Amino acid sequence: MLKSLKSITFGVFAAALMAGVAHADITVYTAGPQSLIDKLSAGFTKETGIKVNVFQATTGKVMARIEAEASNPVVDVLVSASWDTATDFAKRGWLVSYTSPNAAKVPDFLKTETAVAQGISALGIAWNTKSGTPKPAEWADLTKPEYKDLVNIPDPAQSGSSFELTAALAGQDNFKVFNDLKANGAIIAGANAEALNPVLQGAKAAVFGAVDYITLNSKAKGENIDVIFPASGTVIAPRPAMILNWSKNQDEAKKFIDYMLSDEGQKAVAGEMLMPARTDIPANRPLISDLKLLKYDTAAVYGKRKETLAEITKIYGGK
Amino acid sequence: MKANGIGGAAPAAWLAIAGLTVVVAVPFVAVVLQGIFPDLGQGSFSGPFSSFLSTLGDSALIGMAGNTILLGGCVVLASAFVAVPLGVFRALYRIPFAPVWDVLLLVPFMIPPYIATLGWIMTLQPRGYLQQVAGFNLAPFLFSLFGMTLVMAFNTFPVVYFAVSRTVEAVGARYADVGRVFGATPARAFWRITLPLSAPGLAASLMLVFAAAIEEYGTPAALGRRAGFQVLVTGIDLRITDWPIDLPGAAILSILLVAMSLVTFLAQRWILSRRSYQTVGGKPTDKDKRPLGALKMPVMIAFAVVSFLATGVPLLAILATALSRTISGGLALDNIGFANFIAVFSNSAGALSALVNSFSLGIGTALITGLIGVMAAYTVVKTKIRGRMAIDVMTILPNALPGIVVAVGLILAWNMPWLPVTPYNTALILLLAYCCILLPQPVRYTTAAFQQIGDNLEAAARVFGASGLTAFRRILLPLVFPSLASAMLLVFALASRELVASVVIAPVGMQTIATFIWRQFEQGSIGLGMAMAFIAILITTLLPLALLMLLRRSGLVAE
Repeated sequence: MLKSLKSITFGVFAAALMAGVAHADITVYTAGPQSLIDKLSAGFTKETGIKVNVFQATTGKVMARIEAEASNPVVDVLVSASWDTATDFAKRGWLVSYTSPNAAKVPDFLKTETAVAQGISALGIAWNTKSGTPKPAEWADLTKPEYKDLVNIPDPAQSGSSFELTAALAGQDNFKVFNDLKANGAIIAGANAEALNPVLQGAKAAVFGAVDYITLNSKAKGENIDVIFPASGTVIAPRPAMILNWSKNQDEAKKFIDYMLSDEGQKAVAGEMLMPARTDIPANRPLISDLKLLKYDTAAVYGKRKETLAEITKIYGGK
Repeated sequence: MKANGIGGAAPAAWLAIAGLTVVVAVPFVAVVLQGIFPDLGQGSFSGPFSSFLSTLGDSALIGMAGNTILLGGCVVLASAFVAVPLGVFRALYRIPFAPVWDVLLLVPFMIPPYIATLGWIMTLQPRGYLQQVAGFNLAPFLFSLFGMTLVMAFNTFPVVYFAVSRTVEAVGARYADVGRVFGATPARAFWRITLPLSAPGLAASLMLVFAAAIEEYGTPAALGRRAGFQVLVTGIDLRITDWPIDLPGAAILSILLVAMSLVTFLAQRWILSRRSYQTVGGKPTDKDKRPLGALKMPVMIAFAVVSFLATGVPLLAILATALSRTISGGLALDNIGFANFIAVFSNSAGALSALVNSFSLGIGTALITGLIGVMAAYTVVKTKIRGRMAIDVMTILPNALPGIVVAVGLILAWNMPWLPVTPYNTALILLLAYCCILLPQPVRYTTAAFQQIGDNLEAAARVFGASGLTAFRRILLPLVFPSLASAMLLVFALASRELVASVVIAPVGMQTIATFIWRQFEQGSIGLGMAMAFIAILITTLLPLALLMLLRRSGLVAE
């Protein structure tokens, strides 16, 4: 028994050693969707021969991992679903300055010295077409009696884009629309996917501020669901890609950013129903130029994040 | 009387201590240090205790802590209410189709709580499956403390059911019969003799349920938030995943959770320490069970109703969702399709490798925790080694550590730059995480089993010249083996579906069953996630059953 125990221990250590030696060429941490990063890394490896190791989770979980790893970080490239990450990491001095030659067709507001958008999602109203409710056109429509108890709101505390929408709309009318929604029986229903699921089954009729690409993908699969972008305006969530300054593979990381912004990379982005960052890549969905964007000062909005979330919690209850 | 100084104890103790140090102490110490030194992640020890005030001064804390205890208490009561009567009947009476009920009541344990919760939501919400079938919904009941308690109790009561039926069976009817001879009524004999003698198993299982309930994330997150019901774990999760991340705050809240679990553990110890529960004394016991008689119908109905609610409803909801072409299509013949199952078997998004990963990790975790667990339990119960209390406490710590905190602790501990080799970013880190989270299971089960074995058995073997190792191997191990085996099977099932730690700590490029399902849900592919869940539940149920059957045939486990 002792002998086999010894050999097991030895095997375990050998495995650990091997795993330590067989390092990947670059490590990418990304917020979903998994299928996009799978396509991007496969295409990148095919073109350059550089292997990509991927960790995929929600933005929150990716950040938690980076924070816990801070004393000995391994991530080379980070793709977040919230532009706030890029701003914050740049402020901490964690990012490498790099402008990809392929970023020329990316509009200026979607790139900085240290970050560039991979793609963009927008928020809209996800509406169940068989819910027996009239098709909503405006955010405020969901406060009408036809939608009594039938509206889900993604939790602004758990989703960056949802927070920006909340802050932008609340800034326009001092939380009136959120008070009206509450009076109409709307509830805050977890993160994006949790808010959408009841709408698919029909328990709710609409999501107030759903992430568009998830909903468009569901629609493509044949679900009775549609996305409406209100004419009064909505918010977009560019997904920043950045290179971390502790990366030992910065040249390879830069090549990955180049590939992500290449024709092929941007087509993969469009294939996930996201808006490509480059304006010259077509996509089978409404693009930024088709949307009206709400005007708000991002820095000021994030400065008052705690207060805004506290006000929402006050309106929607909870302890 | 405790056997003192019988050889063979020392190796067991050392093995237990070594295992516990690696598996439990390392991540736990990392979490405690993180709580004290907020900048530990950057490798700095500055500003000790600076996070305590802001975290503990949070006005929401008292509400969250109170809710946590309330929910834990409710789940314990509900589990006991469902499981104890069934377990007692199963142990003392001849129940028709008993093995079938055992399997049906085992399945809820194999259903990941977040999947069961989602199944219940899709069944009870407006226009859910219940409404599509029966025309009404029960949404107001579901999104409340009552609903949360029910969903969680249906998930955890098998722990109590199997513990009660096993220990009551071990106590057998013999002691109660003695009471009967001396004139006690059957009820009195049960309440005064059988139930008290079964206390170790009952108390241990109720404590496991309490710890699991206060540590559970999925159900309170999905059901509780809508009812405005925040618990400590959801608070911890928010601190860890909401930018800017507050690791020290999460660590401090976790220590609070662990303290709660320790209190219940000490209470359980105190109850058990007041008398001896040794009932396995080497005398042959009469395993003949009594017929049910007039109770047959009501007992059968009770088994059927509980099985349907705990196993039938979630499984049917999972299957219905997995077989639907579209969720919005609902329950309709033309909406049935096998695309989701085909996608899993054609390895779409790495489904098959996720299955292989999880099951390998599950087997590894079961073996390691079984070994450490039986050594630790033996050391604590059967030896008088100094510091055995510390071993016992160490085996209970992970019980209340939320999975996500274990993950953070492991990253902090194993990702330090000066380590020459590290399991971090390999599959081994998942193995460590699962071992840490699940170690309490085999320890608690085998501890309860050891407590029922009389010391004279081991002593008798030693008198007849057996070495300490032989006595352990030939006498004690076979006697605790049924408990150990079922605990290891449980660990296998739980490890192969662990979600919360896996999401954060999984090495780059590696998927497990749970992370696969979770990613599908995140992207709105609920059907694919549910198909994977159904296959995983099927395998985690059938594999252990086949194994048990083999063991039984080989005579290792007697029934």
